[in-house]
Amino acid sequence: MLSRVAESLYWMGRYIERAENVARLLDIGLFMELDADVGLDEGLGPVEIALTILACRDAFPMEVGPPSREAVLRFLTFDRSNSQSILSMIARARENARGTQEAIGVDVWSEVNRLYLFLGGTRAQKRFVREPSSLFNYIKNSCLLIDGMIQNTLPRDEVFHFLELGRHLERIDVLCRILRAKCPGLSKPINGEDSPMHLVHWTSLLRSCSAHGPFLRSERERVEAEGVIRFLVLDSDFPRSIRYGAARCHESLEAISGGDEEAYGCEAERILGRLESDLRYLDVAEIFDRGLLQFLDSLQISCHRVSDEIQRSFFLM
Amino acid sequence: MQPTHSEESAALFSGYDVAAYDEMFGTENSVRNHYAPLYDRLNNLGPAEIERRHKVADLTMRNQGITFTVYGRDQGVERIIPFDPIPRLISSQEWDRIDRGLKQRVRALNLFIRDVYHNRSILKDRIIPAELIFGASGYRRDCVGLRVPKDIYVHVSGIDLIRDASGEYLVLEDNCRTPSGVSYVLKNRQVMKQIFPFLFEEYNVRPVDDYTDILLSVLRNIAPDGCDDPSVVVLTPGMYNSAYYEHSFLARQMGVDLVEGRDLVYDRGQIFRRTTRGLQRVDVIYRRLDDDFLDPLAFRPDSILGVAGLMGAYRAGNVGLANSLGTGVADDKGIYPFLPDVIKYYLGEVPILNNVETFRPLIPSHRQHILQNLESLVVKAVDASGGYGMLIGPSSTKAQREEFRRKIEDNPRAYIAQPTIQLSRHPTFVEGRLDGRHVDLRPFVLYGEEIFVLPGGLTRVALPKGSLVVNSSQGGGTKDTWVLHDSADHRRASGRPTAGGRA
Repeated sequence: MLSRVAESLYWMGRYIERAENVARLLDIGLFMELDADVGLDEGLGPVEIALTILACRDAFPMEVGPPSREAVLRFLTFDRSNSQSILSMIARARENARGTQEAIGVDVWSEVNRLYLFLGGTRAQKRFVREPSSLFNYIKNSCLLIDGMIQNTLPRDEVFHFLELGRHLERIDVLCRILRAKCPGLSKPINGEDSPMHLVHWTSLLRSCSAHGPFLRSERERVEAEGVIRFLVLDSDFPRSIRYGAARCHESLEAISGGDEEAYGCEAERILGRLESDLRYLDVAEIFDRGLLQFLDSLQISCHRVSDEIQRSFFLM
Repeated sequence: MQPTHSEESAALFSGYDVAAYDEMFGTENSVRNHYAPLYDRLNNLGPAEIERRHKVADLTMRNQGITFTVYGRDQGVERIIPFDPIPRLISSQEWDRIDRGLKQRVRALNLFIRDVYHNRSILKDRIIPAELIFGASGYRRDCVGLRVPKDIYVHVSGIDLIRDASGEYLVLEDNCRTPSGVSYVLKNRQVMKQIFPFLFEEYNVRPVDDYTDILLSVLRNIAPDGCDDPSVVVLTPGMYNSAYYEHSFLARQMGVDLVEGRDLVYDRGQIFRRTTRGLQRVDVIYRRLDDDFLDPLAFRPDSILGVAGLMGAYRAGNVGLANSLGTGVADDKGIYPFLPDVIKYYLGEVPILNNVETFRPLIPSHRQHILQNLESLVVKAVDASGGYGMLIGPSSTKAQREEFRRKIEDNPRAYIAQPTIQLSRHPTFVEGRLDGRHVDLRPFVLYGEEIFVLPGGLTRVALPKGSLVVNSSQGGGTKDTWVLHDSADHRRASGRPTAGGRA
């Protein structure tokens, strides 16, 4: 496959995944803000936290005064000057899809294009004003539809695997960012504090990863720090956990580089392989011993190294 | 017998005036035979229903990104080409003549190009003035003496036809470089099947779907010797080119890579593409890039679209190019007036399709005629295309005519002039009713082991009322073109009178 096409597919996978995550994040944030005035005493509201998660707090035009909820939502959804807005990301996903139509096929391309045209048009604006939650759900569903088409129409060749690689790597990255921003009392040691406020936070954290239901079913335990972190980081079956994502990335990389069982094809594969086995044998208590923050930092560093190495091995030929 | 109409359907053709040559209506105000079933169907559907289906077509095209890029104020805006839902029908007898005429013309064009770059007998025999050839912007000195695979130069051509007031098909332009539009032919057909499936049951329409299969075989045909399973690519200038959709479409339909110049690399006489598994050899390039941009070492050094070294690989016979280099000499507007002579010279045949009468300022009597009749002529710069660099006499201002008068006097060989021809008109869906709009036709011709003319072609419509300019860059639209099989032509016995309210 052409290196340029592979690169476009990889980034398309990343952008769509990121857009979907932002939509979910904003929806849950909005939901929380509308729901309760409990637990909002720590400065940032749940919607505003998204600015931190996406590292675009500095880009937000603060001079207009303290950010209103609507201004932040708008900035993160439609602002073309904000590279992290959903519209900007879908625009880039669309450029990548446009350049790879012969690889991804008409269905996937049309759906990406349709979502882009929708977001740039007046219908999306109206929906945003009338019922923002339904807009975020629309975006999320459209991203999932694109993924569904990818899963169900593409052969398992390089096209598929580069898309998958981008998607899952992004998923890990975003989850790290969300955890960093949203874990209550991350900087302080987590003790058995059990206020209703904490419950709301942990629940919303799970919801922003579509993990609330699965968590309850799988853990059969109360929503609190250890269980939530174990589930989101180490669960082997939940498709949005870090361990699951690392395993998919590793698989796709093996498929791309030819999959020699005894050796690794490139540096990215080595880093991922190591990460994956780490996650497989890690105990959640160890994570807290090391410090959740440090753990997440090193995880993110690994992600970035993997991305750099993929770049070096496949795109810069 | 008078057909009956509901009030709504009468509105569809109300006020329709038959002028120039009308494709649907005969001179005696009757529907031409092969249009009768369509005419009835449209009337039964009525304006609201046609409008609804028209919108579905537009939405499909928009969602699939079937767009072209308009250059201008912004860096380029993507637009869909306006699509007219009323198909154009061509009877099988009409098509037969077109088919034979185009094959004849393309055969002659190829022999001509080969001759220009080798023996030059046509110059020695003084059929065409040598300075016209050497002065043509499409002439490439690099091609002199260069043998191309199978001696085929123009593998893909799109030859523009128009119909004059008598209904005769005339060749308006030969496009022998990188003619575009075939993707719309194929897409328009898909969309028509989606919105008017029942019309296809009524007509026996010749399919166009096999175009890309044949194109692929035409491309494989020019692979370097000894190459059993050639690797073919489509070379595009990139995503911001106005025809990018088409490039991507063709690559997808052929199942080959769509590459940009930066994806290719020259190494030791050969061309390779950069892949995730290293460099892989390329054997045939269907290039949708003008000669000038192909190789910065050989031509424009500022081109970042091409591949440095490509010409070397081509000369060495290590890569096939479609179209070949230098074919622009044949579609130069300065050469065009000589095409009938070219056909006679190489084939010893009478041209089946005629040229539009053309005046050349180089000939004193012609020049006088041109300068005296600027108001009624169309003047074209020989090295321009896309509807640019033209003077359309009847709609020109005095200042524009003065400007062209000076230009022609200063540089007579740079212009030609033709009478303004009232292109034929075709019912076109405008604001809820049908109205006559001028159309032309660009059929596509492929030259591989034999010559193949795609039955159909791109019908372009000048959408503004009265306009004669059909270029998409000038606001033209397209419609599906149906070439009919014999059986369908005679499904209706005779012409029938049209709605009374129309005249």
